[in-house]
Amino acid sequence: MPPVVALSHISKSYESKVAVEDLSLQIEPGSMFGLLGPNGSGKTSSIRMMIGITMPDSGSVSLFGKPYARESLKRVGYLPEERGLYKKMKVMEQLVFMGELRGLDKVTAGKRAHEWCEKLQIMEAVQKKTEELSKGMQQKIQFIATLMHDPELIVMDEPFSGLDPVNASLLQDTLIELKKAGKAILFSTHRMDQVEKMCDTICLIHRGHPVLQGGMREVKSRYERDHVAIDFEGDAGFLQHPAVESFKNYGGYAEIKLRPHADAQDLLRTAIAKAKIFRFELMEPSLEEIFIRTVGEKIDA
Amino acid sequence: MRNILLIARREYLEQIRGKAFRITTIMIPVVFAGIMAVMILPSKYWTTQKDIVVAAQNPALAARLQQQLSADKDAKLTVGVLVPATEADRAKLHAEMDAKKIDGFLWVAAGADGKDVVTYVSRSAGDFTTDDRLDNDVNHALVERRLVTKGIPAAEVGPLTHRVDITTMVYRNGKEEPSSALSTLFFGEAMAFLLTFTVVMYGMNVGRSVIQEKTSRIFEVMLSTVKSTDMLAGKLIGIGAVGLTQILIWIVLGAVLLSSAFVEKWLSGEAKPQVSGVEILLLCIYFLLGYALYSALFAGLAATCDTEQELQQYAPLAAVPVWLSFGMFIYILGNPNSIWSVLISMFPPCAPITMAFRFSAQFPPLWQIALSLALLAVSIYIVLWLSSRVYRVGILMYGKRATLPEMIRWLRYS
Repeated sequence: MPPVVALSHISKSYESKVAVEDLSLQIEPGSMFGLLGPNGSGKTSSIRMMIGITMPDSGSVSLFGKPYARESLKRVGYLPEERGLYKKMKVMEQLVFMGELRGLDKVTAGKRAHEWCEKLQIMEAVQKKTEELSKGMQQKIQFIATLMHDPELIVMDEPFSGLDPVNASLLQDTLIELKKAGKAILFSTHRMDQVEKMCDTICLIHRGHPVLQGGMREVKSRYERDHVAIDFEGDAGFLQHPAVESFKNYGGYAEIKLRPHADAQDLLRTAIAKAKIFRFELMEPSLEEIFIRTVGEKIDA
Repeated sequence: MRNILLIARREYLEQIRGKAFRITTIMIPVVFAGIMAVMILPSKYWTTQKDIVVAAQNPALAARLQQQLSADKDAKLTVGVLVPATEADRAKLHAEMDAKKIDGFLWVAAGADGKDVVTYVSRSAGDFTTDDRLDNDVNHALVERRLVTKGIPAAEVGPLTHRVDITTMVYRNGKEEPSSALSTLFFGEAMAFLLTFTVVMYGMNVGRSVIQEKTSRIFEVMLSTVKSTDMLAGKLIGIGAVGLTQILIWIVLGAVLLSSAFVEKWLSGEAKPQVSGVEILLLCIYFLLGYALYSALFAGLAATCDTEQELQQYAPLAAVPVWLSFGMFIYILGNPNSIWSVLISMFPPCAPITMAFRFSAQFPPLWQIALSLALLAVSIYIVLWLSSRVYRVGILMYGKRATLPEMIRWLRYS
């Protein structure tokens, strides 16, 4: 099966600013792809080229194994970061309109809209005008509008921004369901901590350049497990162990950063000898740490 | 094509259901009727009574003048006589004017060479209709008196100086039809008013609609399924259809009203404006083309703005051609075939309005209509080409209003 999206060495510049430079990536069906990076790193520019809102200056885009063509967009659901709805339209009218634009007939569009509204628990809002709804409600409607035509590729630019935790997890569950149903899902975010659990594949970009790319497990395995979290009671003297490079002791809970290639097992033995240990976890670095280590500077969250 | 129609339908339904549509459908004719009423009714029904005095040396002439002026019903004059008048009386008349007892006086004196010198002194300057009537009546009376002094019997003088009123007829569609300046004025103004409001209003409407979509951030959602040119086309068609709907409502209402007894009475003595089917058809075509020109322009400009306030700064682009056209109104009605009338009706931004004036004065030669339509079409093509390019880039640019150099750069983006 060909990849759903294949970007090959695409670049784009605006005026004097380079938005994206030499980006290549592939998204497989039934997988979740995270496009990660700080604000202004070129995520949105990459996505816009992927779905043909703008054209790359160089490089090529192919969707569903074919060079980019507008026809392919019928199989894509795109939720932009800057997203809106027609304020004066009623929710149901709006969803049907969006469905029709994406090639559904009126009856099917109405039926699907109804199903989705039930699923996302917004049935009470369907006859209201959009402007009367809360922000969270509007976002749910935007998700539905994106997904109504059952797209094979779902592209969401910062889908979680501005969502409350309940709705964010509702959306996460929905996306995981869609992934299991074989859809390819790409989303971008600058909140790397939010997506660690969800992504199968990631691409970290910084200032328009891809800096780190690959399967989530594979990327993480490139980095040593050099962080330790300990819940303990008693003598904290083990924190002076030669394996420890730095630590934060919160009293009963400590976070430790190990020296390169240090022996964590020996640290555990020392700790057991001195204190009562409830938990000793050798952790892999978070995506955010990996990113910071890779680009060597602080990112804005 | 399917998408264009979907967008057009959405746009049409939203506007037709909106409050603004209902308000303008009612208010524009009401405002127009109000303006016309203010223009016409006072001079017809509420001219004030004027007191004037005829001061002359010759009692017979003074009496004749008094009789003549009083007989003129439309002038509404109360005429007093002062004979024989001396220079001292003039000061007395001035005093009476100061005391607001009289509005003016007519001073008739014999000049050095035996010719009569007549002066009208009035408290208000620039009363054209009164001046005109005095001129007429005084000359008439003077001619009569001269005839009498030359020995023609007074009984024969009347028939000799008998006045003739000219009946104005308009020749159109192979028939002579009664015409009056008033109904021509009324009709020309009505058509132009209608066109101006719809063309410019709906042109601005398209601009506003673009801004709203920009501020509601709907564009990027739409652009992932619809081409920007389809969005623009759908919008222009949808809103244009709203304008056409409104015009048709007015035409039907107007036809009903014109055939009603009320208007029959109101226009008593005036000929009804004559509107042919061809003119209505041409009016609709001029609306559509004029609308296409202005709406394409404003769609492009709106894409470069972030707020309606910013768009308002471009409003003079629509207002100047309208002022220019209305400024030429009287001239075009009087000289519908002069070179200036023809030229301005060829100039695309002014063509819809000025052609409406020309229709009401005299149906222009077909080649002129064809040429003005062709010029309009060409200019629409050019503006649309430019606008769609600016639009495509502009709708995804947020932040600040684009400058002219930026817009020119956008034109080059593929």
